[in-house]
Amino acid sequence: MASIISVNSLSVAYRSGGRDVPVVHEVSLDVAEGQTHALVGESGSGKSTIAATLLGHLRHGSRITGGSVEVAGADVFALPARELRRLRGGTVAMVGQNAGHALTPSMRIGRQIAEAGGDVPVVDLLEQVRLPHPTELARRYPHELSGGQQQRVAIAMAIAARPKVLVLDEPTTGLDVVTQRSVLDLIAALRDELGLAAVLVSHDLGVVAHMADEVTVLRSGRVVESAPTRQLFAQPQDPYTKRLLASVPRLDDAGLAVVGEAGEREVRPRAEIPDDAPVAVSAQDVTIDYGKTRAVHGVSFDVRRGEVLALVGESGSGKSTLAWSLAGLRTPSGGTMRHADGDLAPPAQQRPLSLRRRVQLVFQNADTSLNPRRSVGDAVRHPLRFFGTVTDRTEAAERARQLITDVRLDPALADRLPAQLSGGQRQRIGIARALAGEPDVLIADEITTALDVSVQADVLRLLDDLRRERDLACLFISHDLAVVRGIADRVVVLRHGVVVEEGPTETVFADPQHPYTRQLMAAALEPDPDALPYVDDTADWADGADGDDIWTDHGDDGHRVRRWRPLNAPVAEGIL
Amino acid sequence: MTTLDTVPTMAVRGTRAWRTLSTSRTALIGLSIVAVHVLIALLAPLLTSYDPIANDAGHALLGPSWSHWAGTDQYGRDVLARVLYGGRYALGISVTATLLTVALGTVIGCAAALRGGWFDDVLGRVLDAILSIPSVLALLVVVTALGTGPAVIVLAVAVTYVPQVVRVVRGAALAVVPADYVTAARARGESTWSILRREILPNITDVVCVEFAMRASWVVLLISSLSFLGFGADPPTPDWGLMVAENRTAITVVPMASLAPIIALATLVVGLNLAADGLSKAWGVDRIREGS
Repeated sequence: MASIISVNSLSVAYRSGGRDVPVVHEVSLDVAEGQTHALVGESGSGKSTIAATLLGHLRHGSRITGGSVEVAGADVFALPARELRRLRGGTVAMVGQNAGHALTPSMRIGRQIAEAGGDVPVVDLLEQVRLPHPTELARRYPHELSGGQQQRVAIAMAIAARPKVLVLDEPTTGLDVVTQRSVLDLIAALRDELGLAAVLVSHDLGVVAHMADEVTVLRSGRVVESAPTRQLFAQPQDPYTKRLLASVPRLDDAGLAVVGEAGEREVRPRAEIPDDAPVAVSAQDVTIDYGKTRAVHGVSFDVRRGEVLALVGESGSGKSTLAWSLAGLRTPSGGTMRHADGDLAPPAQQRPLSLRRRVQLVFQNADTSLNPRRSVGDAVRHPLRFFGTVTDRTEAAERARQLITDVRLDPALADRLPAQLSGGQRQRIGIARALAGEPDVLIADEITTALDVSVQADVLRLLDDLRRERDLACLFISHDLAVVRGIADRVVVLRHGVVVEEGPTETVFADPQHPYTRQLMAAALEPDPDALPYVDDTADWADGADGDDIWTDHGDDGHRVRRWRPLNAPVAEGIL
Repeated sequence: MTTLDTVPTMAVRGTRAWRTLSTSRTALIGLSIVAVHVLIALLAPLLTSYDPIANDAGHALLGPSWSHWAGTDQYGRDVLARVLYGGRYALGISVTATLLTVALGTVIGCAAALRGGWFDDVLGRVLDAILSIPSVLALLVVVTALGTGPAVIVLAVAVTYVPQVVRVVRGAALAVVPADYVTAARARGESTWSILRREILPNITDVVCVEFAMRASWVVLLISSLSFLGFGADPPTPDWGLMVAENRTAITVVPMASLAPIIALATLVVGLNLAADGLSKAWGVDRIREGS
């Protein structure tokens, strides 16, 4: 088969401080027609830079220092401007990471798609990307669509001019598991339908295993390994690939995976929590409203000292809202939230200082969780002094250094600004800052979502160590079931602000009862191209809770499921 | 924070600000012009031996000569001396007024962004109302009601320009408020003022600096207009606006007496504008390049 894309020992560099800094170093790859080639790597590996060169785009200040990029027989960087424009959209089209940013907010969907060119009517395109009511949808504005729908519109724009090559730069990052699965299925179907070649850029090995025919693993702009997907996932050759693969949490891990230098994988058993561990935080029938909309409907849970309780759900399920309420940033409209030291219902400013420091928050996005104008040492010292855990400045500096060491960082980093740290280091500083108040409850809101997979493994291990050392009650919020499986002791599954299933992690994963839990598990992508879905059947269902009869109990270990009834489906297992 | 470990960060920040500044020729030229004006105003007594307010009927309305470089006005006062001293009034009042305006505007703007809710809404409507009044008109109303004098003028300028500063600063602060480090400070239960000072202000200093340079040029013009109209400096104070007003009738006889203050005023305003332009570009580009 002829290759439609061929990148020959491409090198890209940008100038900084009077010298060339290489971003991509002698990378070669060929993609045959109709094939999907994945570029995998952690941040800074140059994968997006390579993908952008396929459209003849270089970031400002970067230049090609060697090699060439040929798409459909044309040398992209030798093309005159007019033909380059024809290449973009006509021959190669791109779908970017955040479709919400790629669409013009003030232009109706239909007009935007029409602008993308091509002869296919807009309505046909919308139908092709499986959007419901295409005629009506074409008249809407981007903000009226959900994230998944926006991504579908971006895909429709990309295929409007019937290109030969699709460049997908992290097309599903930031989408929910269920939405991600459906968008990926759509891309796969379109690719086969239209016979497209695709270059998929992703940090998610599950996505890659699911989509690609061939995989190139990149690290610091160099090719580490390149092989057909099955071969790469079954027998990775390079130790880096092995480590990367081993770092990915799996749905069937019984604890946190500890990855060795050569990529060997060892699952660490869960921490034992004594039966008489005291309850640190307890929530009863908590409801939280945003104006007229109810974000959380009567949620109850207890977190004991030393225990990790995971709140799982898609975006909009109310899990972060709950976390914010516990932290005192949003007053609940009903129910009670209690800490061993006092009532958690009032907002943070009205709680006594001694209670405030007991409940601390760690954020999702390490980039915005630290003030860019203050040194990281200062970020840790300030809460120390604010909470009065230290008396003078020397002691504050001393304790801050100790805390930075406790999160496994070099205390010499204290004088750096956040921009001089990596994402993983910043997230550790975020944890150190939370620990400054000497809390007994730590709320971790999607803390590993924005991190690379190997860094994620390190941060999860740190969190697990800390809760053992400090006997922390930890509320771990995540949409990633595989991560939850490794770290959590108990799981609460939320959907639209309602708990649909809860119980010990082992039991819930071994025997998921609620169709929504099963759906989440089925949508999770394992880093194995031949993986069977974790659960195979998910029934159509409707809520069946009425009055006081809300729960069905499954065993005496606290595993309980909200009542539901099947909808127009054959009787599935799990219904009593 | 101990002095020991904040000094390096401050130094790093300072050198970075200077490095980006030195790449912008516009900002450098603008700042130098302003610096020259400030120096002249401060060193005026050393630069000329003439008294700017002493009348000398025997030497009235002279053209430029070696003893009077820019000639004399109708009272025989040396025009150059008056121009050199004239910067004192314009700069002094303008700097005070601008400082007050920008400081008030920054605090109100940040607080509006941070508090949000009804405070923000009500403030927005009030500002709209004030903004709809032409600034010279508003200024004249305040001055006629409260009488002239430096304090009243400073106050009047603050009333007319604070709303515009609030607008700009609120916009900049709104971009910082949702950041997680601000949320973290809120979750610690810190006071609004301490969040403003520690978390928000350091991240919008560039906006505030540019705003200061821009407002300063407007304020200089506005105050000179006031003096020209007779509501600002009282004769015989040397002031550029006042000088133009006094000498415009004699413009055909001694053109330099009107032209010299105009040139002084124009260069100061151009300098301030260049500085504002250069600063905003230098720091704006810098932020994009360093991705923060």
